[in-house]
Amino acid sequence: MINETMAIASGTWRRMLRVRAVYFLIVCVFILIGSAYNYNILSMGEHKPLMIDVSLVLNTVAAILIAISVSFEIPRELREGVASTLLTKPLGRTEYLVGKLVGTSIAGFIICGLIALGFFVIFSFSFNEQVLTSMIQGHLLVLFSVIPMTALAVLFSVFIPEMLAALVTAAVIWFTHNSPVLLSSSATKFLYGGIVPDLNLFNLKAQAVYTSSISWAYLGTAFAWGIVYSVFALAIASLIFSYKDLK
Amino acid sequence: MAEIAVFTENLSKTYGWLLWKKKTPSLTDLNLSIPKGVVFGFLGPNGAGKTTTIRLLMDLIKPSAGTALILGKPTSDHDVKERVGFLPDCPAFQPYLTANEFLNICAKLLRVPSGERKKRIADVLETVNMTEHARSKLGGFSRGMTQRIGIAQAILNNPDLLILDEPLIGLDPLGRQELKNIILSQKRRGTNVFFSSHILSDVEKMADYVGILNRGKLLCYGTLDELLGDTGHKAKIRPGMDDMAKDLLSDATSSTKLADGGWELVFNSGAAIDQKLKSLKSAHPEAIDISSSKENLEDFFFRKIGITKQNDV
Repeated sequence: MINETMAIASGTWRRMLRVRAVYFLIVCVFILIGSAYNYNILSMGEHKPLMIDVSLVLNTVAAILIAISVSFEIPRELREGVASTLLTKPLGRTEYLVGKLVGTSIAGFIICGLIALGFFVIFSFSFNEQVLTSMIQGHLLVLFSVIPMTALAVLFSVFIPEMLAALVTAAVIWFTHNSPVLLSSSATKFLYGGIVPDLNLFNLKAQAVYTSSISWAYLGTAFAWGIVYSVFALAIASLIFSYKDLK
Repeated sequence: MAEIAVFTENLSKTYGWLLWKKKTPSLTDLNLSIPKGVVFGFLGPNGAGKTTTIRLLMDLIKPSAGTALILGKPTSDHDVKERVGFLPDCPAFQPYLTANEFLNICAKLLRVPSGERKKRIADVLETVNMTEHARSKLGGFSRGMTQRIGIAQAILNNPDLLILDEPLIGLDPLGRQELKNIILSQKRRGTNVFFSSHILSDVEKMADYVGILNRGKLLCYGTLDELLGDTGHKAKIRPGMDDMAKDLLSDATSSTKLADGGWELVFNSGAAIDQKLKSLKSAHPEAIDISSSKENLEDFFFRKIGITKQNDV
């Protein structure tokens, strides 16, 4: 099972890392992060927190885009028959979905990791300071968030056409990143009973920006929760996919 | 069951699950029992249900009723999928992968031992004449090149059963001949071949067993000898016997002057002509050869699906 899953994963992350636009976007992100240094006057001396915040926001956006990409890929492979060729081999449908999740997560870790490393280098050069643990933890949480977001994208992509799957995934990710605001309404509290993830768990920008310490236990818990939620989402996706007629 | 390559019993498929929408039966009560070691040609007009049958055998779609077994095991069995090679009707592969990378993924999925993968991939690429394109991206391939890679991934695991859906589509004449050679070499290997095609002449040349499907129902299946009936006699006349040929011309339904100067004449069955040929054979045993003339597959096919073939003007 692991060999088959990793075979699919390798095809997936190769695809993502071969898209030249990804590297162009990474360069743009670096430029935006670096340019925060020039907002010393506009930000009234708060350009350091600004740079940290910008790096976390852009890394989160990159993570979201990476997760959403799979909601284009799976429906397209199903529509064109690419998935059918693979699924006639000794490859279970669940293994196919897990492979897509793992491959996208690996690509996400690499891309978001590059962005984080780039930020650390830019920050060190700009302020001649060491990168603090809270900044590393903030970026680590962004990396961890790739997994449950991708699992959501995989879930929607097995039964919704590609464009709609991407829009629904984006909407749910936006919705679940805003849990502190939306949970003020009792109507939305029900949805956070486990049906949709609370991606705000991975958002510790304030602590990272203002260098408050974050416990490593919290990171471990958030990561573990992300894995559990991903298993839950994949189980539903697998159940739906097992009944789907393929082209 | 151990001697049966493909077995179906009342296999049926109806598309559509919405209650208020009309259901379309695509396949109805298909019963097939294809023995091992044969090439089976699956014929039918567009929309007959050939691709639906193949998708059911490959577990890409679930049957509405009935069962299907391949190599004696259920179609969902992973161990049996390891022994099956499949070429879809319009193969599509990840465009960003090179041919080598794609075949490597297929080899991993087919559980080809890691030590053998490189050699196996090189061998199949050579078989389909795609060695020089091994490092090219699949997205840049033409239709014919994609079809060749499709064939390569189908034979990568030296399958016991090869299922090909319209394998000759998209290939130039050279490619078609190469594929026919591949099918025949697989047959010599002992591989069972199950293929669907519209090209009746190719099926007639390659297939041992033929099945004809129309509107989701199997009209007939069996060996070509069993299916194609005797329509009369064929007489081959030696060169230099033009008088004999001219004497028979008026009774012949078709006549062909051969390159060596001889004649080939085809006659419908009839007591008078049968007697005439018998007499000629007795009188001139060396000058004339008489054999049974069989209906060709094209005529049989059109007859079975109930269409009158319009002869070329």
